[in-house]
Amino acid sequence: MTRLFAAVVAVLAAVAALIAVAPELLSPYLVNSAGQLAAFALLAVSLDLIWGYAGILSLGHGLYFAIGGYVVAMHLLKHGLAVTGRVPDFMQFMGWSEFPFYWAGFESFPYAAGLTVVLTLAMSGLFGFVSFRSRVGGVYFSIITQALVYVAMLLMFRNDTGFGGNNGMTGFSVIFGRDMADPFVSRMLAIGSIVILIAALLLCRRLVTSRVGRLVVACRDDEARLRSLGYGTLRLKLGIWCLSAVLAAVAGFLYVPQVGIINPRLLSPDVSLEIAVWVAIGGRGALSGAVIGAILVNGVKFWLSARAPELWPFILSGLVVLVVMAFPNGLLDLGRLRPRALKFLRPARGT
Amino acid sequence: MIRPLLLCLVVLCAVLRAQPATALDRDAVVASACGPATAAAEAGRMIIDGVAQASADDLVWARQLIASALDRSLACPGGAAPLLSLRNRAAFETIAAELTLLAAPDPTARAGALKSLGRRPELVPAGVLDRAAAQEQDTALKAALAEFAALADLGSPDLARRGRAVARVADTPSTRAATQLAALTNDPAYRADAGFRATVDDAITRVGRGLMIGRVLATLYNGASFASILFMSAVGLAVIFGLMGVINLAQGEFIMIGAYGTWLVQQGLHAAAPGLAVWYLPIAVIPVFLATAGIGVLLEVGLVRHLYRRPLMSLLATWAVSLFLVNLVRVVFGTQNLQFDTPFYVQGGIAVIGDFIITWNRLFAIGFAALSLAGTWALLRHTPFGLSVRATTQNREMAACIGIATRQVDMLAFGLGSGLAGLAGLALSPLYNVNPQMGTNFVVDSFMVVVLGGVAALEGTVLAALGIGQLNVLVEPFYGAVAAKVIVLLLTIMFLQWRPEGLFALQGRRR
Repeated sequence: MTRLFAAVVAVLAAVAALIAVAPELLSPYLVNSAGQLAAFALLAVSLDLIWGYAGILSLGHGLYFAIGGYVVAMHLLKHGLAVTGRVPDFMQFMGWSEFPFYWAGFESFPYAAGLTVVLTLAMSGLFGFVSFRSRVGGVYFSIITQALVYVAMLLMFRNDTGFGGNNGMTGFSVIFGRDMADPFVSRMLAIGSIVILIAALLLCRRLVTSRVGRLVVACRDDEARLRSLGYGTLRLKLGIWCLSAVLAAVAGFLYVPQVGIINPRLLSPDVSLEIAVWVAIGGRGALSGAVIGAILVNGVKFWLSARAPELWPFILSGLVVLVVMAFPNGLLDLGRLRPRALKFLRPARGT
Repeated sequence: MIRPLLLCLVVLCAVLRAQPATALDRDAVVASACGPATAAAEAGRMIIDGVAQASADDLVWARQLIASALDRSLACPGGAAPLLSLRNRAAFETIAAELTLLAAPDPTARAGALKSLGRRPELVPAGVLDRAAAQEQDTALKAALAEFAALADLGSPDLARRGRAVARVADTPSTRAATQLAALTNDPAYRADAGFRATVDDAITRVGRGLMIGRVLATLYNGASFASILFMSAVGLAVIFGLMGVINLAQGEFIMIGAYGTWLVQQGLHAAAPGLAVWYLPIAVIPVFLATAGIGVLLEVGLVRHLYRRPLMSLLATWAVSLFLVNLVRVVFGTQNLQFDTPFYVQGGIAVIGDFIITWNRLFAIGFAALSLAGTWALLRHTPFGLSVRATTQNREMAACIGIATRQVDMLAFGLGSGLAGLAGLALSPLYNVNPQMGTNFVVDSFMVVVLGGVAALEGTVLAALGIGQLNVLVEPFYGAVAAKVIVLLLTIMFLQWRPEGLFALQGRRR
């Protein structure tokens, strides 16, 4: 476990260093893909934190991912307007001459970054509080999170909400005053994403190996006992839930500038479920498993989307059934199958 | 014997021949119609004034004359007929429609004529309407004529007649009646005559009340039909969730498969037995139920059975199945909406009050859900299988101890739940679009029904389905479909603060 974690961090750091030092070795497409994959991996880590360690499956993490994505998209559009004078597309087709009032202040990057955290905390805090307080858990919690993200998608599909409607937002031209088409910007975004992913991994690692982390696992395994021992499980669950939501929002914040578009399809329940699939395939309850799962699944998806996109849903559903039935801990189970060759993959804790 | 009969015939002929003597002077009419514009207008007037007394023969003749005047094929003594002036053309068209109403042998032509006259009912002379009403045989047209006459009376110069007409209009409240009455408030007579004003005001209140009742009933009715679909899809979810703690994310796809199965039955009947094709909905019930229940049993045996101890994983597994099914159907059938026949028994409806119409297609869904509810209730309450299901839901270990084959119960219950979802697909096929993605529209609402209703009793599912169905339909006209979903979700979350396990929770220790 520890060795695998160290290996994952080392590989990530090496890729970041490679992009920084020898960019000519990698095509711009690869650099961009690496950045997007890092954002997905961060998203998977956030879900693993809540599912793998706290035993709470969110089928609506796309909601927080999209909060980060929408906020950064609004920042980029406002920033682009300030620098190049380019009016966002959705304003044109809605026939609006000025921004709705809630777009105020988005030119400022610190405001956007701060707002992402505040909004995510408010949303996840409120929802987590009412759910955990009434002890909604397990499958109930999962389907309510799914309903939440579904409703959010319907809301964002409306064109009059001022968030771009079904076309979403695109046409980001400038970031930090620099042209987004510049390969340097794309490299910086990729490196930034990987560095933030590594930081988040180290932070989460510290958390799950700490006393709080052990309490979270204890809460997953027997909440009633923990409660009767005098621990406030509400605070515990709420804390880890909000942290997970914020990490997901950061992932969205990193993802949207690199992919260059955001639209409500990101809020589709299928997308949120896919995050759980990455984690399940990589291995729940191990941070490195989440990273591996996200990168592996999305790597295959990227590769296949250029060749046979119609095959992807079949492969994905087959993979899920295989993992669920045969490898409950995902690829980490492979360590059990071939102990000698893949010894380093063996998980420390069985979950 | 033959003599008196012949005599009768002669007398009859004489009587029939005697009538036209008072009516149309055909030569004069032709002369006027061939004359200049003012004379042509006079020809029209002559025909209309004579309508009340004219013989059937005359009416047919006049109809031909007007028709040929309109298409300029009228042969006049001095050559071709003159071009009709714009004003005369309009008048002649009205007259043509009136004569069609009186003299056309084909009822659809008469109905069409009545419809075209409906644009300016006050222009139709009372004589025409009286005669049409007296000689009309078709019942539907008779009713339409009566309504039309009331409308024409509304514009009549005779105030007493008008007042009666206003009261008659108010007897059948509809949006059209409301606009007609509202138009009367701008009428000079409304300002001039206090009695007439009172009649009109009273009629407007009555129509308003009728419309309001109609709107409320229509909303309740639409809500009930949506609730029916929700119930049929949610009852399976609730039974399965109560039994095994598993939520089947593929439930929406069972609805979709049910609808596609119905379509396949329809196509099969078209190919094999076209005479029966119109009855495809009732015929499809059993095959659709068996097919979806069979797929459900397969899913349980192949996948869900192995995941009882890991309910969160069963979410992923059933989602994978739903992804697979959606894409399979997409590849096989394409993404477009399926075309369904609408047989006569799900077409139209009966108007009740205001704009409220009991449409057969919605009634079909409601009746279908009621039957399924009765069947499910009887099955769960009054059969050994139902007893086993309830026992296993309450305490699986104990049920196993007293010899209930809990695994078999699970399998059959899963099949039952999937079959009911399939029947929901059948029931909604005359109402909603059928395409591979249709499942998602219902599945989230179905989850909310389960969460709200709890799993301990069928009543919970019924109440929650009705509540969510009604709420969706109530909110929709004011704030849109999206707001309806938002409100349903927020209310559900709030409700869970009060009752975390739904309306009807199992008694016992809280986990």
